[in-house]
Amino acid sequence: MTTLNSVKRDAPLARPAPHKMSWVWLGVTPFFLFAFIFLLYPSSTIAIRSFQNTTTHVFTFDNFVHLLQNPNLVNAYWISIKISLITSLGGGIFGFLLAYSAIRGGLPPFMRTSLMTFCGVASNFAGIPLAFAFIALLSPSGVLTGWLRSVGYNPYFHGFQLYTFWGLSMVYMYFQFPLMVLVISPAIDGLRREWLEAAENLGASSFQYWRYVAFPILLPSILGTMILLFGNSFGAFATAQALTGGSINLVTIMIGAQLRGDVLGDAGLGYALALGMVLVMAVAITGYTLLQRKSERWLR
Amino acid sequence: MTHLTLSNISKQFGETAAVQDFNLEVEKGEFVSFLGPSGCGKTTTLRMIAGFEIPTTGKVTIDDADITDKAPNQRDVGMVFQAYALFPNMSVAQNIGFGMRIHRESKAAIKQRVEEMLALIHLEKKGNSYPYQLSGGQQQRVALARALANRPQVLLLDEPLSALDAKIRVQLRAEIRSIQRKLGITAIYVTHDQEEALSISDRIVVMYEGKIEQVGTPFQIYNFPQTAFVASFVGTLNTATAEVVDPANRLISMDGIQLQSAEEMEGMQKGDKVSIAIRPERISFAAQEKKANILDCQIENITFLGSVVRIQVLVGKTHFYMDTFNNPFLELPKIGDKDQVTCSREAVLVLKA
Amino acid sequence: MKNGGKVWSWFWMILGIVYFFLPLVATFIFSLRAKKGVLSFLAYQQLFNDSGFIKGFSYSILWGVLTIIVGILIFVPTAYWVRLRAPQFRTAVEFITLLPFVIPAIVFVFGLVRTFSHPPFLIVDSPVLLIAGYTVLSMPYMYRSIDTGLRSIDVRTLTEAAQSLGAGWATILFQIILPNIRVAILSGAFLSFAIVMGEYILAQYLAKPAFAPFLAYLIQEKAYEPAAATIISFALTWACMGIINLFGRGQQTQIAGGH
Repeated sequence: MTTLNSVKRDAPLARPAPHKMSWVWLGVTPFFLFAFIFLLYPSSTIAIRSFQNTTTHVFTFDNFVHLLQNPNLVNAYWISIKISLITSLGGGIFGFLLAYSAIRGGLPPFMRTSLMTFCGVASNFAGIPLAFAFIALLSPSGVLTGWLRSVGYNPYFHGFQLYTFWGLSMVYMYFQFPLMVLVISPAIDGLRREWLEAAENLGASSFQYWRYVAFPILLPSILGTMILLFGNSFGAFATAQALTGGSINLVTIMIGAQLRGDVLGDAGLGYALALGMVLVMAVAITGYTLLQRKSERWLR
Repeated sequence: MTHLTLSNISKQFGETAAVQDFNLEVEKGEFVSFLGPSGCGKTTTLRMIAGFEIPTTGKVTIDDADITDKAPNQRDVGMVFQAYALFPNMSVAQNIGFGMRIHRESKAAIKQRVEEMLALIHLEKKGNSYPYQLSGGQQQRVALARALANRPQVLLLDEPLSALDAKIRVQLRAEIRSIQRKLGITAIYVTHDQEEALSISDRIVVMYEGKIEQVGTPFQIYNFPQTAFVASFVGTLNTATAEVVDPANRLISMDGIQLQSAEEMEGMQKGDKVSIAIRPERISFAAQEKKANILDCQIENITFLGSVVRIQVLVGKTHFYMDTFNNPFLELPKIGDKDQVTCSREAVLVLKA
Repeated sequence: MKNGGKVWSWFWMILGIVYFFLPLVATFIFSLRAKKGVLSFLAYQQLFNDSGFIKGFSYSILWGVLTIIVGILIFVPTAYWVRLRAPQFRTAVEFITLLPFVIPAIVFVFGLVRTFSHPPFLIVDSPVLLIAGYTVLSMPYMYRSIDTGLRSIDVRTLTEAAQSLGAGWATILFQIILPNIRVAILSGAFLSFAIVMGEYILAQYLAKPAFAPFLAYLIQEKAYEPAAATIISFALTWACMGIINLFGRGQQTQIAGGH
């Protein structure tokens, strides 16, 4: 039988009594302090200053207006979006086919583990080293260029250029398709064997199973991951910088240039540029989250 | 008229023989259960009828047509899976109508059949719901409707109720049986739950380690088990080893106590070791009525199970359970008492080991 | 899948493998061409003799280790506290840990530099800002790993058991919780390490010595040494991923940022 006396012990409780709320805040303070100083405050600085006139600090939309009026900057957004669309679509489709082949394609099981390992490494092997690897491969003095020339085919005589939009797209694909493989694999795993058997049992051919069952089920995941890929490409900087020396017109490159000095002639434009980028990313991440939730509901 | 025939079916997975020497003839409209523990081959056999496994030897025929080598999407069988397997991206109505859609039936025909099916499974208002919005029991009913909508010749059910709560299970198995009767469709039902099999089947095929142990009606399987496995798997059973004393007079001896059986003991000789089995409900107190066998015993334990009282007694060196109906006005003996129990000669089953 | 499907599976696999290995093979071959006419490891020798490389590489390792320590010190108590006593903060904390996904590294560094290069916060030259920046960049992975680790142990019961035996908070955290999420922490640590080693923008624009900016400089100045450095960088990434795979399966191992 418990006595009333046992309740009065003064040990710190894992389940606190309701009125002792005050010192719960203390536990999360370091984190919020850190996040505020080094993440939230600098980020909000960008947001605030993008709505401010650089000299007078008066609230204004002028920076965004000037951004939209600047053909160079609008072009930068357009090119960034273009490369992101292309590499997310290309990387998405290729990554999906690769993942499906390894998981459901009838290949030996070690191929799947190897693929996952390669993709884990490849999706992290981005930035400067990746750019150089492609330079070593396909620059005018690159290894592959040399081999092709030795058999009589010079890609550069056929209009190939590495340090351009398409060259960069090719490099981006290197980390895009592995990311697709890694993220879409759980969804492919979630395609239950019984759905295939039930479809077959009801008379469906392989194609019909794909068209009516497997593909619709996977679609939210595929779309969601492609959006993730889009964001991934949109925010990439170091790879483009290293490959093209900053000559290609991307939003990230522009911001990088701003960091080195005010190349736009107006600091406010730089902030507007940065905020615009965050908005695009926010939309992408939201889209991804919503589609993920939908697919999780089906693949439970 | 046999509708479904399995002849000499066997299935080999590498070194393991999952199914061996399987022969069965099923009449049209019959409800047959495959009953057995995990790994006995019942699901493998079912999947061979469905076409998801190809038999190593043997033939499967439906209505005299050999379907052994036909692809699963070419057979006219409907399957209900243990994990429901409803297509999550389609509504209930779309799931049910999927088979007809594949067979290119008209939209009107599909709509009508779907409505029929929804009425059959009592889910008329759920046509537009999605699987994740339904409970387990509801999902399984939809799976049943989906399989039936295609008007298959044979309905296959692979442990359809094992993922559900006990109460839903009892309710749903009765529904499945009544729908099957109403439609007159031949059905094969795989389960490891002997109560389920006993309650809804026309015939039961008891399987163990890939082979058929016994085929019979629930009455036959329960009351006249032919092997020790069937006797122990179906219902509670008291088993013991005994020795043959006099095969002609059907006398055996267990722990030195003589028992009179009604079983034929052809080919057995004095001294042969046998397995005997007695159902708990066939043993009663000698004080009430004396039957052919009277045995001295000691009361070891009394368990009140509600409508039945299960008493554990020690006869010789063997423990037996006896079940008596609960009678509030009958005084039960106490633990430790010495008493006498009795059973008829027909109650003493002699089994192949 | 029927046999026709298998042919396609092999086709895509081989294509993927070729795409994956070709740049690596090319880089490796390139790195062996330093000496005219013969394959040698000259580029690697020159690299290891280059004081700039030694400096960049060692500093990056230092930054990596410091980032991991800071990460553990801040995120482990926080994740523990949120799980145990302050679940009402969970959404806010998780939102913050996901912000680095929404704010690309270049924008983040842009914000950091612009904010902290004017008085009164003139700390842009201090290594504190660098480490803080790395910690933020690795936060999604470090925090997620720790949180996953905590989820798999019954934090509440362990804490109550420890308290009933008289332990205070510090003891509980460091002697009971930490050892039990060792695997998760190591996983997060190696991810953070890979991030820091590969990170370019932060070190470059804060003008601090590091591996990636040095590599960028190499590409401008030398022909074959960058190849050697690239191979080393790749081997390092591979080692980190390999060690992480040894520990946990199903942990998040892809990084979608910092490039």
